[in-house]
Amino acid sequence: MIRPEEIKMSAEHVGKWGMVIDQDICTGCQACVAACAMENNISFVGEKDSGYGRSMHWIRIERFWEGEYPEVKMTPNQPMLCQQCNSATCEPVCPAFATVHSQAEQLNLQIYNRCVGTRYCGNNCPYQVRSFNWRDYERPEPLSNQLNPDVTVRRMGVMEKCTFCIQRIHKAQDKAKAEGREVVDGEFTTACAQACPASAITFGRVDDPESLVSQLAQRGHGLKHLEELGTLPNVTYFKGG
Amino acid sequence: MAGYNKKEEHAHAKAEVHNHGEEHFREKHLMLDPLPRGQMNDMVMESMYVTSWKFWVVFAILSVIVAYGLFFSWGKMIAEGLGIAGVNRPSYWGIFLVNTVFWIGISHAGTFISAILRVFKAEFRRPFTRAAELMTTFGLVQAGFSVFMHMGRVWLSYWLMPYANQRMLWPNLHSPLTWDLLAITTYLLSSTMYLFLPLIPDVAMARDRSTGWRKTFYKILALGFRGTEGEWAHLRNAMNIFAFAIIPVMFSVHTIVSWDFAAATRPGWNSSIFGPYFVVGALHSGMGAVIMVLAVVRGTMKNMKYFIRAEHFDGIGRLMLIISMAWAYFFFNDYMVQWYGGDKWTQQLLHFHEAGPMGWMWFAMLIFNVVVPWAILWNQKWRSTPWIVFVVGFLINIGMWFERYIIVPISLSINRMPFTWRLYEPGVEIPLGIGTLAFFILLYMAASRLIPLIPVWEVQEGQMAHELKKFGRETVVSVSELE
Amino acid sequence: MADNISSKENSGQVSLLAVFPDLAPAADAIDQLRALGLSDDHMNVISGIPVTEAMLGRPAQWTNVPRLAGGGAALGFLAGAFLAFVTPYLYPVPIQVGRQAFIPGPPTVVVLFELTMLGMLLSTFLGVFLDSYFPNYRPMEYVKEVSDGKIAIFFICPEESKEKFTKAMTALGAEKVEVAEVEHL
Repeated sequence: MIRPEEIKMSAEHVGKWGMVIDQDICTGCQACVAACAMENNISFVGEKDSGYGRSMHWIRIERFWEGEYPEVKMTPNQPMLCQQCNSATCEPVCPAFATVHSQAEQLNLQIYNRCVGTRYCGNNCPYQVRSFNWRDYERPEPLSNQLNPDVTVRRMGVMEKCTFCIQRIHKAQDKAKAEGREVVDGEFTTACAQACPASAITFGRVDDPESLVSQLAQRGHGLKHLEELGTLPNVTYFKGG
Repeated sequence: MAGYNKKEEHAHAKAEVHNHGEEHFREKHLMLDPLPRGQMNDMVMESMYVTSWKFWVVFAILSVIVAYGLFFSWGKMIAEGLGIAGVNRPSYWGIFLVNTVFWIGISHAGTFISAILRVFKAEFRRPFTRAAELMTTFGLVQAGFSVFMHMGRVWLSYWLMPYANQRMLWPNLHSPLTWDLLAITTYLLSSTMYLFLPLIPDVAMARDRSTGWRKTFYKILALGFRGTEGEWAHLRNAMNIFAFAIIPVMFSVHTIVSWDFAAATRPGWNSSIFGPYFVVGALHSGMGAVIMVLAVVRGTMKNMKYFIRAEHFDGIGRLMLIISMAWAYFFFNDYMVQWYGGDKWTQQLLHFHEAGPMGWMWFAMLIFNVVVPWAILWNQKWRSTPWIVFVVGFLINIGMWFERYIIVPISLSINRMPFTWRLYEPGVEIPLGIGTLAFFILLYMAASRLIPLIPVWEVQEGQMAHELKKFGRETVVSVSELE
Repeated sequence: MADNISSKENSGQVSLLAVFPDLAPAADAIDQLRALGLSDDHMNVISGIPVTEAMLGRPAQWTNVPRLAGGGAALGFLAGAFLAFVTPYLYPVPIQVGRQAFIPGPPTVVVLFELTMLGMLLSTFLGVFLDSYFPNYRPMEYVKEVSDGKIAIFFICPEESKEKFTKAMTALGAEKVEVAEVEHL
């Protein structure tokens, strides 16, 4: 049994897995969005529901501009996904323990079969990155043949969100364990990072100072979104560097 | 000396006025206008038996609305998913939760009247405690419907009950929704028990003077109550405990409902005044609903003009005015601090409330909740007139519903991620919401013909305790404390 | 108490019901019954409004309701304590949510409060049932005039002095005195 005091509660405590997103080189091509949907069996919501705020992408490219037309100036694209907060506001509010913090991966888990659909976590996520299965959406042929067997297919009434491709983490860990070694940095990455043609997304161990993601994160001018809320996100953004 | 004589004369004239006044007192106060208990019993029994064809027409229409609006639409939503409702991102919560808060608010009136007024020995409560308590129970039923509709997988809602499920998982006690479940369950059970205890002597009365299926029905409900000293002693003790203990439960329920919002990390919600603000808001809509129900009961049910009089509307109207002032105070307190804080997201939200596409609702809320009651209820004559207070109560309920609508879906439209800002448009919530309203009225109508709506024994007890007493030449009402 | 005295207790005795229109004669009647040698245990008052014991000069009724309420509150508190303090440790690894302690402080207060109140009010309600032997659909001595506001005194006297008691009650203003009939309520 783990006593509460054994869990590091300090604000400096970094998570285990993390991500660095360089907004300056993001082209906004949406390849990460497509790759994520393929990898994680995300439903195809369709134009109508998507236009009404029911898109279910676990990662989205937020585009903003400054000024009034025609004097508009684009600001860097902002890929937004679950920040895997170390102190996640979505977790305590779930009455059914459907979203909890994992001890092993230090990630914010969503457990679909516990979810009863109160959607409190969605409300309480300051990043608004959770998506709810409003209906059972159809998967027209041949898309129904491309489901990833490593990922649960969700049905209507449950909440879902980015998992940092936890199935890939486990696969890599299992492989390394079978070969009697540690997981090597860069051995695997998430679907979004893999698909990014500009290499704007880097994924890896943030608790390992030698890893690429830690090196990038320490470049100096990285920022965490809504840092003032104290959610301690595991995603670092670079903008205007 | 001349001056003294003059004074005496004046006093004499006044005394004459007061002699006429005794009749006036009788007319005005139910407690000073006693009838033999048997006659009151007959009047209450008659009020349950007499139903006009209009009653059944309304009953049939409401049944159709309930069948379609509540049960068919809900079934459809369970089959097709919440997609047919209007909830979206970022408005994950919509009218379902607006209605939940609204109905829990309505349910506060019953406890307020029957517990707080009982504890403070406000005598005017006597004839309508049950009418108000019925609203508590039936309102909570609708709140239950609304919150279950809201759930994505309602067929698994039993997972929230405090027991270990098949994965040996207990509910998460960190979540305000778990507290909510505990609080609402406690409140529903205790308000139903509190409705039932004072009802026992009245159903025993009904049992003694009914035949056929009603006799069987009342016999079962009366549990064999005779009115022995022991039975009364146990009942009195229990009602006393309930009257005191249910008040903190009532406060806790709406405070916890407010924490569903206040505990969240959202601009506009994260406010420490939400607890009392919600409680006062609940009483505001609850009192408005009580006065509407009393106006309808008085207007449509037989013999009710004897039991429910202008003095009762006057008393409730005065409470409504005070509660309206309290609501305005809490509203302004919340608004002031949010505005002064200067957080950019909160500023955006406040601007959106007033000047957004639903800004009219914000102003309507203030007019219905503050301007209308303040403009009308200060006048004793107006607040004693049933149809006027009915209109005021109706507008207050609209205003309070708007308030919850502003707090839930409108405030959810604005968050810290401007990319996701989006308006909420209700879908199947509308028939479902109308369905709960119809079901509430339907349950109330059925109950009004099945259980004595007036607690006759409490009225008689009050009439025994009241008398007119002379202080010098002035006649005043005096009340003895019988307990 | 006298709640359960039955007319069939003793063959040599008879139970009578005297119906009074008001409190004062009923109180006098009770004094008279005592003067005639009946103990308080052999009488009971049936009324349609709560008549306190003091009004009729009767001994105070024993009731378990407050004690049961206290017991229920204690049980409710224990149930709340189990939920709040024990269940978080029933898992192989305690579940961590949002960096909150496994046993969160303020929420614990909420859980303890609600369950204490629930336990207390449920047992108060059940206390009425236990103390009054509800539900009880057996035939009991009763007159319907009671729910019309009359006060009935129900007492047991020796068969041979039935006349004497009837006369005494009538003299004090009883509207009727009769052998208590067992009614199917």
